[in-house]
This record gives sequence, structure tokens and C-alpha cells, in this order.
Amino acid sequence: MRLRRVVLTFIAIVPLLTILAYGFFRDARYIPSPIVGRPAPSFTLTLFTGEKLNLSDLRGKAVFVNFWASWCPPCIAEAKQLESTWQELKDRDVVFVGIQIQDVEANGRKFVGEFNITYPNGLDSSGRIAIDYGVWGIPESFFIDPDGRVTYKHVGGVGPSIVIAKVGEARQKIVSAKEGKGEYQPIR
Amino acid sequence: MARGPQDLEEEARAIATELRCPVCQNLSVADSPSELAVQMRALVREQLKEGKSPEEVKKFFVSKYGDWVLLAPPARGFSLLLWVLPGVVAVLGLILVVLLMRRWVRRRHEGTPIIPEDGESPVSLLGEQARLDRELKELEFDFQAGKLSETDYDGLRRDLEAQEATVKKRLDSMPLEPPRNAVRAPDKKTPALEARPLRRWPLVAGGVFLLLFGLTLGVLLTQSLRPRRSAQDSITGDFLTGTQPAGGTDALLAQGRAAFEQRNLAQAIELFKKVLASDPNQPEAHAFMGLILAQAGHMEGALMAFDKALAVSPNFPPALWGKGMVLSQTGGDPAEARRLLQKVSGMMPPGPEKDEVEKAIAQLGKGDSGKPSSAKASPADGAQIQGTVDIDPKAKGKIDGQAVLFVIARSTGSAGGPPLAVKKIVSPKFPVSYSLSGQDVMMPGAHFSGKLFLSARLDQDGNPTTKEPGNLAGEYKRNPVNVGATKIDILLDQVQ
Repeated sequence: MRLRRVVLTFIAIVPLLTILAYGFFRDARYIPSPIVGRPAPSFTLTLFTGEKLNLSDLRGKAVFVNFWASWCPPCIAEAKQLESTWQELKDRDVVFVGIQIQDVEANGRKFVGEFNITYPNGLDSSGRIAIDYGVWGIPESFFIDPDGRVTYKHVGGVGPSIVIAKVGEARQKIVSAKEGKGEYQPIR
Repeated sequence: MARGPQDLEEEARAIATELRCPVCQNLSVADSPSELAVQMRALVREQLKEGKSPEEVKKFFVSKYGDWVLLAPPARGFSLLLWVLPGVVAVLGLILVVLLMRRWVRRRHEGTPIIPEDGESPVSLLGEQARLDRELKELEFDFQAGKLSETDYDGLRRDLEAQEATVKKRLDSMPLEPPRNAVRAPDKKTPALEARPLRRWPLVAGGVFLLLFGLTLGVLLTQSLRPRRSAQDSITGDFLTGTQPAGGTDALLAQGRAAFEQRNLAQAIELFKKVLASDPNQPEAHAFMGLILAQAGHMEGALMAFDKALAVSPNFPPALWGKGMVLSQTGGDPAEARRLLQKVSGMMPPGPEKDEVEKAIAQLGKGDSGKPSSAKASPADGAQIQGTVDIDPKAKGKIDGQAVLFVIARSTGSAGGPPLAVKKIVSPKFPVSYSLSGQDVMMPGAHFSGKLFLSARLDQDGNPTTKEPGNLAGEYKRNPVNVGATKIDILLDQVQ
């Protein structure tokens, strides 16, 4: 009788605890992106230089797309590193594209000048490109393979090691299912 | 389908209320003031104008953001649990309640003494017993008379004896002289509690628990929720929801860091003080206070601040770094300085910051820790600013033999910020000549370079932090000066 009661109690409590544990241990900020592994939404971006950049023209190359804003601290933290990574990778069939969102164009131009960013950058004033890519925070980065498919999404600041590794994977058309998450912790 | 502008607006709003704002994740796109939500609302209207149905519009957003973007989760996958579980739990609960009620009722019957059922009394039972006795005797008589077969007789006799035994048992369990009012069966509604007074405590405990639970919930909710004041206002703002009002600790820390990086130290101090007022154990605020104090030359205070940070978070890199650097410069405890710097060096990624720490460790290793400025080496070491300090003839009478002269170089014109470099000259003989270089830099790692603002102060008590009346001060008339300049002559012409 007593054993039966213990077993019944366990049967009632264990599923409840399991659901609670799942809820507590999973990262509430992690949101799986449905666009990873799918064709990248096409866009035409008007660059700060006045030229137009069409994603479909970049077929055959790996593309790194970075959404940023001049007011966002992790974007400031990653800007210099992204430019140096671009300098390292630019001769290897890779294109970097910076898309400024939720911001004013003048601040964007200043930002690009301040960090000597040489890869193409432009403002997505209507937010249409950002919504097409399911962007919900800033910065977010996407890696696109030569066939135009999104291979990886990174939420938050991104460092050279990840960019180099994921651009390499994109060139080999390897899809990473789970998106990465950036960390921003300045030492002082 | 043709829609009027009014319909379209209403339809767009209806869709927006069903979509989650990706930025303010607990608000709908209709409620969120964020720019992304504004853009999403525009997109909803645009798609409706194109003739898309509300379902198609929602599907578009799901294809971009996933099911997560819907405020009401779809009834599939893990979210299915949300739809099914409440029903299942309600049914299970109902079953449990019924089972418990039944057991309760049964216990009540078992626990109460047998009281005769309706119409039954000791008198009637005795009558019953007499009747059974009579029947038994008649049966005996009939059997003897040969009216019954042996099997029939046995069966009937066993039956009557069993009935008699039951009646006897009932009679035995009754009080010998029952009170008159016990003749009737008790009212069915009488609670079992009366029969079992000892089982009262679970009810009392349950009641107290429910009361406390309700009170806690009531207090917490009224404390943490407040009405929305405007469209720009977030709905809640307290600990229960996890959101903090603007100017929370994190925001203040971020502002403080930014102010520190821009060398706006007075503002940084204010911000970190605010953080410490709300959280006296915030390690980052203590560490930054330490760095600022070290920069201002208050090494004792800096060490105390770093110790406070390390007491809370023993491996906090900025505090380890700051304490190590200060110890290595004051030469107080080279072994401890080396231990701290090695610890922080192990945590740092390669880069100029790590190189700087490695360099400081190497300097300590050479055993010249007794020389306070050993780790202050900066690329501009050779560069100096030279000149003299003299006293305005009108203020000459104020000289005190005990006074200490400070020659101060700041990187900004305001006198509020801490100095970049300071030269201390005890009991100066005017005019006194001085030179400032990288050796006099207050902040570990800061470079003695660029345009600097030079000033000097003759301090009565020799304590640079107090500004007592009677101090003499003066600025170089053609500030700022470049590092490397000579003949930077300062006249002390202001009486404080």
C-alpha cells in the first residue's frame, strides 16, 4: 500500500519536474531561426557610396551579412575586428555586406568612417531586409553559401575566429543547424 | 476582396496584436513602441493592401521568425502541451477529488460506532431475535414431523442461524441502555469531524497555507504591477517581471564604463556610486572605482576598492588586473602582485592588453619592484615637459615653508577630472624648475602623450585631495602644450 502510494506520487511529480526543468534550463533568449538552411531572402541595398548591391549578383561567392546600428555597443565592439577579418578574407571569393538598421544614415556614414570600414555598407531604412531575415536583435550576422543558401546565423557580437570558420563552412556549403550566440564582455 | 481604409486599419491592428514584437518580446507588435514593431505594422498594412489574407500575412512572419512570433502558440509540437495539459490536469484533479471524497465518506462510516439504521432499535432487534428463535423452533418441529427433507432443513436452519448471529452481533455492539435520542439514526449531514476530532489539523494547515499564498500573491502583484501611463510606457517595471526601470544597475554600469572610456571620470564616479548605492556588493563598480582612484593617485583607496570587488567575485579580471598593477607600482607586495597578474594573464585572450600584463610580470620578475615607476614604462618615456614654477609677487607673503607643490598635467582643460601626470615637490624654493615625463603618470598603462593642460598648486597641508583656503594655484597661460615642450613656466597667481 505504502509502495503503491510512493510510485503514484512519483508518476504524478516526475513529468511536472521534467517540464519545469526543461523550462528553467533552456535559454529563453534562444530562438531557432527558420531561415537557416533555406535560400537567403533576396535584397537590393543602396550603399553609402550610392551604388546598389544586389544579393543575387553575389552567387558563386560566400556572403557574410552583418546587421548593425551605430548606437549598439556590441556593434561598436565588433566593427574593427570585422574590418580586419574582411582584409584577411577579401581575396578568397567572399563578400562582406553591412546592413545598418533602426538608425539614421548620417550616423551610419560616421560609424563606417570612424572604423575605416571598406566593405559595402548601406541603410535598410524600411526595415524590410531585417524582417525578411528574421532579425530580432542587433547585431546579427548571416552566412550565405555560393548557392545562395543561409548556412548559419549568429546573434550578438561576432569575433574573427567565428567569422573565418563559418565563412569557410559556407564556402563548403555546410549548414550549422543551431545558431550561435555572441558574448560581449569588455575587460575594462 | 475590397477593403475600406477603416477595415484595413482594424484588420492590420488585429493581426499586429497576434504577433510578438521581436525586440520587446512580451509585447505584441500592436503595443510595442520599438522601431522594428513600427516597421512590422507597416509591412502588415502593405501586405493587406496587396490583397493578402490575415492568415497569409501571419504565415509570412512565421516563415521569417518561426512559430515564436505568434503570441498564441500553435497547437503542435511542444506547444501542444500548453493546450492539452490544462484539460488533462483538470480532469485528473476532478478524478482525484471524487476518489478522495469517496474515501472520506467511507472512513466516516467505518469510524463511527454502529448505530442502528432507520427504524432499528434494541427493542426491535430483540423482537427480531425472538421471531428468529420462534421460526427455528417451528422448523425443528416441521422436520421432526417429517414435513421437510434433510437438505432443505439444513439449508433453512443455516440461513436462520446466520440471521440470528447478525442480529446478536448488532445487539452486542449497542450500549446496554441507549439514551432515548440515540434510537433515531443521526442526521446524514453531520460532518465526520465530530466523530474524528483529531483530523482537524490538515484542514487548518491547508487553510493557513491558502491564506498565506493568497496574501503573498496579492502583495507581490500589487507591488510589481502598475498601470500603463502612456503609449510609450512599458506596462510593468519591477522585480517580478524581471525588467528594471530605466537607469537600472546594468544601464548605470554601461554608462559608467562609457564615461570611463571617454575619460569623463567625474561622471563615471557619480554613476558607479549610484550603482553601489543600490547594490553595495557590485564587483564591477568597485573595480572601476579602484581604477579611477588609482588614476587619481589614491593607491590605498584603490586597493581597498579592488579588495571589495575581489571579496565578492574573486576572479573578476579588472579587479585582479587593477590590484596587481597598483601593487607592482607601489612596490608593496611584489609576490602578491605577480600572483594576481599571472592569474589575470591566464584569463585574457592574446592582444595588447595581455602583452601589457606580461610586461608588468616580467618587470616584477627582474626584482626591481622597489622602484615604483618600473611598470609605468610607456612608449613616450623619453618625452618630457619642462619648465619652472614661480609665485606672483602679489601673493608672495602667503608662502608657507611646509607647503607642497604639485605640478599637474591633465588631458582635458577641465579641472574636475583626475590628472594624467603629477609631480610632487616638497618644500620648494621658488622659482623651482620641474620636468614631467612618463615616469609621473598616475594611471597604470596611460601614455604621456598628446596635448596636455599644465597647472600647478602650492598646497598647505600636502594632501592633494583637500582644497583648503590659502592654497596658491596657477595655470600655464598658453595651454594646451605638446609633450616635449620646454620653458613651460607657470605663475601661481590665484589664491584659493
